[in-house]
Amino acid sequence: MALRTESARPVVTAKAAGPAPPGRLVRSLPQTIMAAPGLVLFFGLIGLPVVLMVAFSFTNWNGLSGVREFNGFANYQKAFSDPTLLHAYIVSAIIAVAGVVLLDVVGLALAVAVAGTGRANFIYRTVLFYPFILSAVAVGFLWSALLSYGGAADSVLHALGFGQPQFLGTPVLALVSVTAVSVWQLLGFSVVVMVAGLQTVPRELLDAAHVDGASRMSSFRHVTLPLLAPTLTFNSVITAVFLLRSYDIVVALTDGGPAGYTQTVAYKIINDGFSLGQLGYGSAQSVLLILLTAVVAALVMLVRRRERKAR
Amino acid sequence: MRRHVVLVPVSVAMLIPAYLLVVNALKPQAEILGDPFGLGSLTLSYLKDALTSPNFSIAHAYVVSAITAAVSVAVVIACCGPLAYLIARKDTTPYRVLFVLFVAGTFVPSQAILIPVVYVLREIGLMNSVPGLLLYEAALFAPMTVFLYAGFIKSMPRELDEAAAIDGAGLLRTYWRIIFPLVKPATVTVIILNIVFSWNDFVDPLTILGPASGNYTVTSAIYEAIGTYNTSYTTVFPDVLLAVAPAVIFFLFMQRRFIGGLLSGATKG
Repeated sequence: MALRTESARPVVTAKAAGPAPPGRLVRSLPQTIMAAPGLVLFFGLIGLPVVLMVAFSFTNWNGLSGVREFNGFANYQKAFSDPTLLHAYIVSAIIAVAGVVLLDVVGLALAVAVAGTGRANFIYRTVLFYPFILSAVAVGFLWSALLSYGGAADSVLHALGFGQPQFLGTPVLALVSVTAVSVWQLLGFSVVVMVAGLQTVPRELLDAAHVDGASRMSSFRHVTLPLLAPTLTFNSVITAVFLLRSYDIVVALTDGGPAGYTQTVAYKIINDGFSLGQLGYGSAQSVLLILLTAVVAALVMLVRRRERKAR
Repeated sequence: MRRHVVLVPVSVAMLIPAYLLVVNALKPQAEILGDPFGLGSLTLSYLKDALTSPNFSIAHAYVVSAITAAVSVAVVIACCGPLAYLIARKDTTPYRVLFVLFVAGTFVPSQAILIPVVYVLREIGLMNSVPGLLLYEAALFAPMTVFLYAGFIKSMPRELDEAAAIDGAGLLRTYWRIIFPLVKPATVTVIILNIVFSWNDFVDPLTILGPASGNYTVTSAIYEAIGTYNTSYTTVFPDVLLAVAPAVIFFLFMQRRFIGGLLSGATKG
């Protein structure tokens, strides 16, 4: 077999490169042609910008003037002593933690309910999933119209005699609204992920637990849940990454308000970098966000690996 | 049966915003404020106004969004499929390093690198242009595409490649003639995810196209049209409805493939 492949080789190169000797360069030409476009695309518009971002973060560039001076760690010092950035991190953390917990718990509960086959489950899954495909800006504007003063939510509460709570006008309620709308949009995604996870739980194990007299609740806790751990990890990491990037919904729903209270990390990067023209400072914030995202993802996976080894 | 007691109210709660969106897109301001849930005095005139708005042309926005989505997905498939094939098949250190770099790329938030991306696009003369935008959209989807294709190709037998080599096919021909047709499920996933991602992307088109280009996508157009403190609900609801309608229709037609594709992307990880 190996011999035949060997003898076939010269034919290949002869076709590809004419009578030239099958040198290393000639043989690697097709590989170069195949790899180059993808590499140029990725390193040109993702890799190079990441490097530039790190470089910009050590300068005082404002984006307009040609002045771009190295200013060492000044932007990072500013970041660590900027109370509005700390606030933005707290806001993003609240949205991410509350969101991930809700998506894990509610997502799993709903997934168990709609995991089966059949028409009804299909319809339920469609209804739960549709917000995920909507544009987040459009979702933000829609909910902004529904939750703002005198909107549909107000009129319902008013009719029930609860007064008008100003969902987007008071700091805490505005933050709750941003989190709730984000969960509303991502819930169907989590449900679908969990349904797929549930389908990997072997039927025989559940049957065996049933034969052994386990109740449905205890077989869920002792059979299904441990087997579902990787799915929960996956859902947590992905939704945390989504939520840590929260920008579109915030812009359209509250525009960071009231009085900057719901500004997220991503909101502040765009706001400081573009609207306020502090490109160096915005880049330093970006570096910190990417590092944080990587640390969060690595931590979750590390914890999971440890748990798996412990078992 | 007991589960329906929970699921029906949950479903209704999920659908209420959609109901309000459609109904209020067909009502005058006084009705929206006075009776948001009611079905009295429905009219198509506000939707017509939104379609013929002097602020922006929704048709133009549809075209720009559609071109951006379609061409960026074609670019990413053409560029990243062959690269993923090499990564999946060549078990050498450079390709392993590349794979790790691409996976790391999925953790880079698009807003975080937007500042330097604007700089790069300006340097190569593609800032404020649709080609610049769609190349960046393609680049943003490159990591996920390589990840999906490489995972898929790894699960296919190497004998396929060997047979093609014996028949005298080079690497390129082997990929496009033999492998590419067989990874159709991965391609469908890439197409669906990328189209929805690109259609819904907001801050990238807003920044890269900018006000100077005269071009806008659906999301950047409704942002400019609605602004943040616009309380003229007779423009908000119709604009939002027009912005999301194509995505909803696309989803309802492609639903099985959509959810299946999302999961094949998820579980291969």
